Amino acid sequence: MSTAKPLRKLDDLLDSRLMAKLDAVDVVSRKIFSGKMQGERRSKRRGQSVEFADFRPYVHGDDLRFVDWNIFGRLDRLFLKMFLEEEDLSLIIALDTSASMRVGNPDAFDYARRVAMALAYIGLVNQHRVSLVGFSEGRIERASNLRGRRKAAEVAQWLLAREPEGGSGFEPAMRLVGTSRQGRGVMVVLSDFLFPEGFEKGLAMVAGRGFDLFALQVLAPQVVDPSREGGITGDLLLVDSETGVETEVTVTPELLKIYKERLDRLCGALRNYCVRRDIVHMVVESSTPVDTLMLEYLRRRGLLR
Amino acid sequence: MTSPASTLALTWVTPVAGAVLGASIIAPLVALWFLKLRRRKRVVSSTLLWTRSLADLRANTPFQRIRFSWLLLLQILAVVAIALALAQPEAEGLGSSGGRHVLMIDRSASMNAVERLDERGRELSEPVTRLELAKKAAKARVRELLGGGWFSSRASDVMIVAFGSRAEIQAPFTDSIPALEAAIDGISPTDEGTRLVEAIELARAFTANDRPDEIESALREAPPAIELYSDGRIADLDRIAPREGEPVIYHRVGQTTRNVAVSTISADRPPDQPDRIQVFAGLVNPQFEPARVTLQLAVDGTVRALTPDPIEIPAAEDRGGVFTPGRAQVVFRPIEQRDNAAIEVAIVEDDDLRDDDAAIAVVPPARRLAVLLVGDGGFLLRTLLEGLPAERFASVSVAEYDAMVEDGTYAGYDVVVLDGAIPKRLPTGRYLSFGATPPVEGLSAFGSHSSVFPRVVRDEHPVFRSASLDELFVSKMTAVQADRRFQVLAESAEGPMVVALDRSDLHLVHVTFDPLDSNWPFQRSFVNFVANAVDHLGRAGDSVVGRTLAPGEAIALKLPPGSSAVELALPTGRTERLTPDAGGNISWGPVPLAGLYRISFATAGRTERDERLVAVNIADAAEARLEPLETLQLGTTSVQGIAVASSSRGALWPWVLGLGLLIVLGEWWYYQRQVRV
Repeated sequence: MSTAKPLRKLDDLLDSRLMAKLDAVDVVSRKIFSGKMQGERRSKRRGQSVEFADFRPYVHGDDLRFVDWNIFGRLDRLFLKMFLEEEDLSLIIALDTSASMRVGNPDAFDYARRVAMALAYIGLVNQHRVSLVGFSEGRIERASNLRGRRKAAEVAQWLLAREPEGGSGFEPAMRLVGTSRQGRGVMVVLSDFLFPEGFEKGLAMVAGRGFDLFALQVLAPQVVDPSREGGITGDLLLVDSETGVETEVTVTPELLKIYKERLDRLCGALRNYCVRRDIVHMVVESSTPVDTLMLEYLRRRGLLR
Repeated sequence: MTSPASTLALTWVTPVAGAVLGASIIAPLVALWFLKLRRRKRVVSSTLLWTRSLADLRANTPFQRIRFSWLLLLQILAVVAIALALAQPEAEGLGSSGGRHVLMIDRSASMNAVERLDERGRELSEPVTRLELAKKAAKARVRELLGGGWFSSRASDVMIVAFGSRAEIQAPFTDSIPALEAAIDGISPTDEGTRLVEAIELARAFTANDRPDEIESALREAPPAIELYSDGRIADLDRIAPREGEPVIYHRVGQTTRNVAVSTISADRPPDQPDRIQVFAGLVNPQFEPARVTLQLAVDGTVRALTPDPIEIPAAEDRGGVFTPGRAQVVFRPIEQRDNAAIEVAIVEDDDLRDDDAAIAVVPPARRLAVLLVGDGGFLLRTLLEGLPAERFASVSVAEYDAMVEDGTYAGYDVVVLDGAIPKRLPTGRYLSFGATPPVEGLSAFGSHSSVFPRVVRDEHPVFRSASLDELFVSKMTAVQADRRFQVLAESAEGPMVVALDRSDLHLVHVTFDPLDSNWPFQRSFVNFVANAVDHLGRAGDSVVGRTLAPGEAIALKLPPGSSAVELALPTGRTERLTPDAGGNISWGPVPLAGLYRISFATAGRTERDERLVAVNIADAAEARLEPLETLQLGTTSVQGIAVASSSRGALWPWVLGLGLLIVLGEWWYYQRQVRV
């Protein structure tokens, strides 16, 4: 269990030093989504921006304001000038708030909240529409449509109010997220993906539905290697924090070896699943500094620029 | 037959109970241990990976390999200790298979050796004899065989036999521990030799007849186990072969070897110096290293001489299994002693068997014999007897002798020589007769033989000392028949030539032919024979007994008529009252210990009490060898000895139980320490 001090305020989630660094970072979507409001992001939707996109023949009912009269003069035919519309980007941060996240030193849940805060801050600063979704026990809690730097405190408040409890219910939670989305965009799922029922059905609920999906698998160092200090050793009765199921374990080198193989297989399966569905998967230990993750790893993986 | 292979240190009184408990608990304990393993609770984020990993692990191995754990080890140790305690281990025992046991306890001279170290070489708090060790071990064995224990219901019958040169049943088959212990306590030490055959035959005979009303069942019953408590120095071991199914257990007693013995003593008055006594002594060293001893010569308890320099006795040798002890002879300078005396030669130095460190000889007073020749003009014998150094010599006719018998004057002569004379009767006395058969019960003449020569001669008899009959030829001999009371000293193919009778009232040596009918008078052996015979007869039944007895023999004496208040003083200091029969004969025995036995009695008309001395010496030189025999060879079977413990055998199970409880406490402490982590 975590021995770090609990997170109480915005600074605990995101310190000013990192905040300053993040001001110059933006979220990159590999896809172009239509937004709801005019924003700073080029949209697929033809709109009213100054950036020319294409021509198309005029049809009855088109706005005559967009007719290219020069072409009409040369060709005597009506063509409509089409411009790219600049829209806002929807950034959805799904945070696993199941009990299983409260593990390790540094605590995986706190780490995930810090990452969520940092991502949300980037989104807010860049005038994106930021939505936070916490999921556990198949339910979701959300803070939707936050926009602008001023909302950072609200985001922090929301994150600080989250406490991990219960099981994850990943699939129903993702179904809810997938069906009630308020616009396409970038979705970052922060979870350990250690779901007894598996991660596939849950990811299927959001993959291929217009989201540019990032799966950030946050694992505590003690989960990655139980033989580390504070890990699992000796004759133990392990109690699952989500289900309460008790498992008698006698940790032996042989068992540890099998455990690590199992973890590798699980991560490998998640990675393969993500690759097939154009999802970016990334495993991150909660001991990794958040700024390193944000400014190096996520940039390298194309989520930030 | 069973032969214990090696020394066993423990006895399990109830081994089955312990084994059953151990077997029934340890295996379930190991199984339960896994169920009740005290695991620390630990809340983890997810057991998903652990359950799958465990599934993988179990899929590979159906049973988990047992891991080392102090808790499991302590629990097993505790159960083992408690199971062992339930088996009631006792130190220095042999266990029992039930049935009947004959405990044979050696009480020969060598068992009087003093042991100063225990079987592990540690010094004992106080020295103890081998016999005491054997008795203690036998009593412990009795308790072991009959004591039972928890869950034990066996019932052995035990018999106690003590043996030396003779065997004696101390207790018949019984399961009464007090009776058996009392019987063992009643075994007293002796200086006898060691003969086991009689003991074994006695036990076997007793086994066959102890339940005459249950012959069938007795026959079906297995022969009793023979348990021998001895140092293994048994003279007749080669005559013993165990029967089929007859177990023999040899409890080896003792370990000391330090001993030197006075094996022989001879004290005689030289013919030319009757007032002096010449003493010879033989020494035996059974150790495999030379010994140096100092001898002292005591006369009636007063030391008269001491060897000026220590006497070297060479070491014993064992060549090809033939043991030869080192020997030395000592001759003392003749000492002045006219009266009868008890001569004792003793080793001054101390060793572990004191009983054989001294030998005693009783020498009669310096006295010359009075000899009476009865016959009608026998020139040959008259001349011969006149030449002997006799105090008094007379020659009378048969009629005169008969008259002397009537008036009692014959009693003034020590030996009567009958030269072909047949008196009317032979009263109490000592007689040497030639030719005519004297009127003695059990001896009868039935004819004559001619041309006879001796075939068998008992050369060892004193009368044949320097008197060989090899050249003897007899032209005419009276045919006689002698009953069992007579001893045939020389025998021809036709019948006895020389017979002897040693009765308490009559001593007779009879030659069945007239020397003049043979070539004997021309041989030197004749002169020696006559002198030996007169001397031998003259000493027989004398006021002091010159002959030495061996332990186990009986004292038999003829006291003067009218003797009363007879007392026998033993070497131990104890005094016994004896009652002579009508003829004045007394007998007591068998004598158990070596030493000087004094018989004192009162005679009518005398105020002073008379005294007779009997010397008893250890006759068996083999008893001097103390080194215990490791293995008994009985026929084709070797029986390995089991060392008898000098310390008392104690029950170990309380200690083992205590250890078990300590282990439980340790296990509890260890568990508490572990769960608090």
